[in-house]
Amino acid sequence: MNKKLLPLFLFATLAPLRAADNTWVLKESTLSYHVSHPLHQTDGVSHAARGKGVCHEGQCDFLIAVPVKSFDSGDSNRDLHMLQVTKGAEYPMVMVRTRLPESAESSTTLKADLEIHFAGQTAHYQQVPFDVKTEGNLKHITGTIPTGLSDFKIDPPSLLTIPVKNEMPVRIDMTWTPQ
Amino acid sequence: MSSISGKLVFALVLNFLLVQQPLHAQDSAATLTGTVTDAFGNPVPNTRISVKDSATGQSSEAQTDSDGHFTVPNLAAGDYEVVASSDRASSSPQKVTLTAGGSQILSLKLSQQDNLPSAPSSSKAEPSLEDLGFSPAESQANARQQALLDRRTHMLKIHQRMGLITTIPMIASVVTSLNAGGRSQGTASRDLHVALGALTGDLYGITAYYAIRAPRIPGTQTKGPIKVHKILAWIHGPGMIATPILGAIAFNQKNNGEKVHGVASAHGPVAIVTAGAFGAALLAVSVKF
Repeated sequence: MNKKLLPLFLFATLAPLRAADNTWVLKESTLSYHVSHPLHQTDGVSHAARGKGVCHEGQCDFLIAVPVKSFDSGDSNRDLHMLQVTKGAEYPMVMVRTRLPESAESSTTLKADLEIHFAGQTAHYQQVPFDVKTEGNLKHITGTIPTGLSDFKIDPPSLLTIPVKNEMPVRIDMTWTPQ
Repeated sequence: MSSISGKLVFALVLNFLLVQQPLHAQDSAATLTGTVTDAFGNPVPNTRISVKDSATGQSSEAQTDSDGHFTVPNLAAGDYEVVASSDRASSSPQKVTLTAGGSQILSLKLSQQDNLPSAPSSSKAEPSLEDLGFSPAESQANARQQALLDRRTHMLKIHQRMGLITTIPMIASVVTSLNAGGRSQGTASRDLHVALGALTGDLYGITAYYAIRAPRIPGTQTKGPIKVHKILAWIHGPGMIATPILGAIAFNQKNNGEKVHGVASAHGPVAIVTAGAFGAALLAVSVKF
């Protein structure tokens, strides 16, 4: 009888351990890129990012994705041009992957190694600093990723034959919640 | 008549020099091009492309380049089944119909599990794009729309360049107009004004052509400064038609020794409004207010 109960006992003991893996979900976000031109300073903003983080054995793997076409700069012509130069129809998603230690959730700052898939290219950014604020069970993360057009082999779009600067920092403002 | 022919030749030569549109020879062979991506939209190089003729069963092979692009030229018109495959993954077969001399652009996606990009980790717990709830329509590559966007940008770049060039003879026309309608008996300044006005009209026509013919992207709502730019075209467009007509009437009146009168006296004001609207349209997309 005891032998028959043993597997059930083991399952009952181990099940909570498996369930102890945390999952984080991106509740809301504002991502904005900044492009500089002698005549223009442009910001394209998106609130359409979705993200998920899965923690397992002390490590959390995060994936954040946002449709390229969801960025709005306030000018439909410029947005279509950005969509074209970034090959947004061929590669419709920007994806960011990172892995963080589970202990980072209690920090007020964190540095993340990011892998970004964009415009058919993959770029890596090491030790990008972010601020973390905790409100209840929500984690509010802000920071700027120092991306550049050349990192993704994007030809700088030009206005009046003058190209924009290569630097295209992306400002991140995200709120995560445990699932 | 000879001046009209000269202007036409000039406009054609200018168009050819500036635009440099390649002329493609008509050919009966069809071409299949496309891109192979993994589940994350990354291009997959060195992937085999098999193009099977549905009628004969014969296959043509190609391989993707470092950017995941492939081209299969010299195909006969007909129905084909196209599959992309690597050692670890393959796409679902896609059926295409090729027409004589035509070309098709395909987007092939390899199955996800064998083609994960080199993520920082490879644990089984790692979230995927599907976990985020994006629909295939949102995350799938659309090579046809990319081609449309590329063509649109190409044409609008020419539009922009030509618009800038047009401002030079336009400003010169306005400047020379100060003497064109004067009391002097000579016709040199008037002829110069006419020549500059004609050049402006030709260049404006080419500029407008590339804006009007640029493909529209379905589902896009016009907003922002480009909306002002387009609205102003409804002023300078008709103005660019009316100005030379009124100018021709005024020119004839002056050449007949008459004072410019009647509807022709509107030539100057119409031209000023047209040039002003054109300049404002240019500024609307150039300077952030």
